[in-house]
Amino acid sequence: MRKNIVVLIARQFMMQVFKSSVFYALLLIVIAMLMFAAYSGWHSYTVQNEIRTHYQQEARKSWESNPDKHPHRMAHYGTFAFRLKHALSMFDFGMESYTGNAVFLEAHKQNSVNFSEASFSTGLLRFGEISVAMVLQVVIPLIVFFLGFSSVAAERQMGTLKVILIQGASWKELLVGKSTGLMMITTLFYIPAVVVIFFLLLFEGSMESDIMLRYGAIFLFYFIFYVIVSVVTIVISTLSRSSKDALITSLGIWLVFVVLLPRTAQAVGSYFYPAPAKVTFESAIEEDVIRQGDSHDPNDPHFKAIKDSLLHAHGVDSVQHLPFNYSGFIMREGERLSAVTYQRHLKELLGIYERQNDVGKIIAVLNPYMAIRNLSMAFSGSDLFAYQHFQQQAESYRYELAQTMNELQMKYIGNEKEKKGEKPHAIGKEHWMAFPDFKYKFQPFIHIAGTQVWSIASLVLWCVVVFFVVVKVSKTVKVIQNV
Amino acid sequence: MYRLIIKQFIRSRAVVVTLSLLFIMGVVSIFIGRQFIEHEQRSIEQVTQHQHDHIERNVKYHGENVGLLLYYLRFALINKPTELAGLSIGQRDINPSVQRVTIRNLEAQKYDTDLQNPASLMYGNLDFGFVVVYLFPLVIIALIFNLLSDEKENATAKLVSIQSQSFRRYLFVKLSARAVVVYTMLFILFGIAIVVLNLPLDAALLAFVIVSVLYLAFWFALCFWITSLQKSSNYSALALLSLWLVLAIVLPAAVNSYVSNKFPVPESLSTFIKQRDGYHQKWDVDKGVTMEKFYNHYPQFRKYVAPDDEFSYTWYYAMQQMGDDEARYDSWAMRSKIRQREYTSRWWASFVPTMHAHLSFNELSRSSLENHLTFLDQTNAFHEKLRLYFYPYIFDNKPLPKDAWDSFTPEYTEHVQSVPWVSTLLPLVIVTAIFVLIAVFNMRKLVLH
Repeated sequence: MRKNIVVLIARQFMMQVFKSSVFYALLLIVIAMLMFAAYSGWHSYTVQNEIRTHYQQEARKSWESNPDKHPHRMAHYGTFAFRLKHALSMFDFGMESYTGNAVFLEAHKQNSVNFSEASFSTGLLRFGEISVAMVLQVVIPLIVFFLGFSSVAAERQMGTLKVILIQGASWKELLVGKSTGLMMITTLFYIPAVVVIFFLLLFEGSMESDIMLRYGAIFLFYFIFYVIVSVVTIVISTLSRSSKDALITSLGIWLVFVVLLPRTAQAVGSYFYPAPAKVTFESAIEEDVIRQGDSHDPNDPHFKAIKDSLLHAHGVDSVQHLPFNYSGFIMREGERLSAVTYQRHLKELLGIYERQNDVGKIIAVLNPYMAIRNLSMAFSGSDLFAYQHFQQQAESYRYELAQTMNELQMKYIGNEKEKKGEKPHAIGKEHWMAFPDFKYKFQPFIHIAGTQVWSIASLVLWCVVVFFVVVKVSKTVKVIQNV
Repeated sequence: MYRLIIKQFIRSRAVVVTLSLLFIMGVVSIFIGRQFIEHEQRSIEQVTQHQHDHIERNVKYHGENVGLLLYYLRFALINKPTELAGLSIGQRDINPSVQRVTIRNLEAQKYDTDLQNPASLMYGNLDFGFVVVYLFPLVIIALIFNLLSDEKENATAKLVSIQSQSFRRYLFVKLSARAVVVYTMLFILFGIAIVVLNLPLDAALLAFVIVSVLYLAFWFALCFWITSLQKSSNYSALALLSLWLVLAIVLPAAVNSYVSNKFPVPESLSTFIKQRDGYHQKWDVDKGVTMEKFYNHYPQFRKYVAPDDEFSYTWYYAMQQMGDDEARYDSWAMRSKIRQREYTSRWWASFVPTMHAHLSFNELSRSSLENHLTFLDQTNAFHEKLRLYFYPYIFDNKPLPKDAWDSFTPEYTEHVQSVPWVSTLLPLVIVTAIFVLIAVFNMRKLVLH
């Protein structure tokens, strides 16, 4: 394969595209969409994070402003965790709109994460959202098809194909040249996104190395994705009888891969692995907790056994004489048991979700669009794993809070009940301040890469496949396609 | 001629494949809808069973202490999905159909979400509404984009025009043959849906069918308009698919992002914090102050006095009440913000048939945001009713008669069925008529080469 021939063909392809006025119209439309998307991504990122940070601080203020009181009152007073958006969510909204944003953290109870954007949204949300990533995933591939479908097929129809091949270019050079040309054109559509996101990150001061790594990975994957799309377009054009056939085939592929498959895969997954209703989930946990031992029931065997062994170990005859607060101890045990039970059920539930999503994950191997979609969300911190990461952090903070309050109770609260009219038991408010605020940490880069093995494998696999297809096609294709 | 045209049309393999695919997707979507309805149905049965057991168990433990008992007891209000929601699941998968609330502070409870897989929510439901709004138009495009250009490109146009009296009439017959096939498919799918989902034959269903028919008519009109421009097949295919992309993805997404950026809802978070502080901080406030506020809200309970030097449930529930009272303004502000979102979306939707059809389907199936907001209001009323019923028992610390508990089965929301015919149908009729008129005008000058 001669490099100069490839460059020549690529350049000729680009020249032809530059001559058509449709190209400039498309470029303008795409840039306008990208700018609109970038603006709305940036706007929602800054506004939402400002709102959430503000309320996180408000919640902290009211936590700290509590006077001296019984630590168990504080365990119920609880606090809130607000989910912060990752800086790259400006680029790809992923599941952001469908995941909850705020959760109340209190003792004894794992609350749902509430107030997702979707819960305030009309049905319009279900048409999808315009993010920079959506333009890159949905619109640009379609434009690549628009610009490339006739590349070889039209030359064949007009008879110029013969001329090119007679002049000494090989099929392989032709295919690689056309693909390179198309890829360069695609880059013109894609560069504005790369640039605008860079400046938004710069503007927001989010230039840490972890974010830069994600940023680099995202655009590298998109680059690979476009190489695949460009080559596929040229191959379709080569194999089609007429440019009309090439167009219809490409559009069909776009529809199936982008519109039909993702939704259908998810629907299939949900159909075959139905998730339990909330009431089922909650009552199963409730039953398990009751079975394990009810810390509210004085005759409960589990807690009675604990009590007996405690009395025995400390050589006392009643809980009043224990060196620590007995009910604090019991609540600590109850919290531990119920948290373990909850985690077990939650794991089961998340397992069902995972199986529902597995269909999509496997289909992603065949569908590079789904692979890039998953990768893009994951590295933008807006996919399911990022959300579950938040949920876990919120839950461990909640657990920490409840247990810290229980331990304070064990340490500082007497075992004697206060008499009527007496001042209730209380500890100093400095303890509230000593308990650190909730601080959400995003997943580290390497952690994310680990969740995306399938999608990365898909892109690599497709690269290999298109390479071999080009080799194969250039050997077998004929100048005049038979009907 | 008509029969021949239909025959010729059906003979093409691509057409058969496309139509079969559409049919399969349609049937699949109906079964997905049924699964959704059955899932909700099972959930409702479980709620009913669970509530019975739950009350029984707690009454056994705490029956003598009404204040403590009602701390635990949860009562369900069910916003049962209509059968039609099987055709358009709408926002029903996001917003819960069941509220289970204690008589404590409601603002702490009513926004609790269902268990859900965010990935499924994001990809969206493959319901019949999706098939009509997204897929039917694609099939119409596929069947019509080369209605005229194909004849020209294969040079059959002149042949036909010589043989028939009017080429325009011939085109029209060709178009109507496709329309007949597509509409037949639509009606067959509706027939299957009626059987599978056991749909009642009511005004909502009729409106649903008419909206679908008009919506598809809009797409036929749009395709006919592009045909009337008399460009090449490639041009028509590109133009139509681009229009589809703009109407089915870009415009709705743009309006949605405009609406959600224009009306952010920080009130949700302030409500969240205020209801907590409103209740919890009362533990550190003089009991008399809280009681006075409570009496101002409910003068009829002034006769119940909370003792100053010990815990009492009268005081406890007065504190709980303060959570709701102090979050009231923010909660109201949140509600009106969300309503604004709904109105703005509907206004924009009336210009864009895809959006209009989708929102109308949700509205008719009672799976819209509006429906959920109404449900939240109904939850308020339900909760208030429970409170007013139980407060006297708690304040007197007087156990309820044993058989009183039997009546506490889950309650269902009530709805008045009314279809806003004009606002539902008119936008589609107008937009369709506009495109038909332009197309007919363009067709007056027909060039056959």
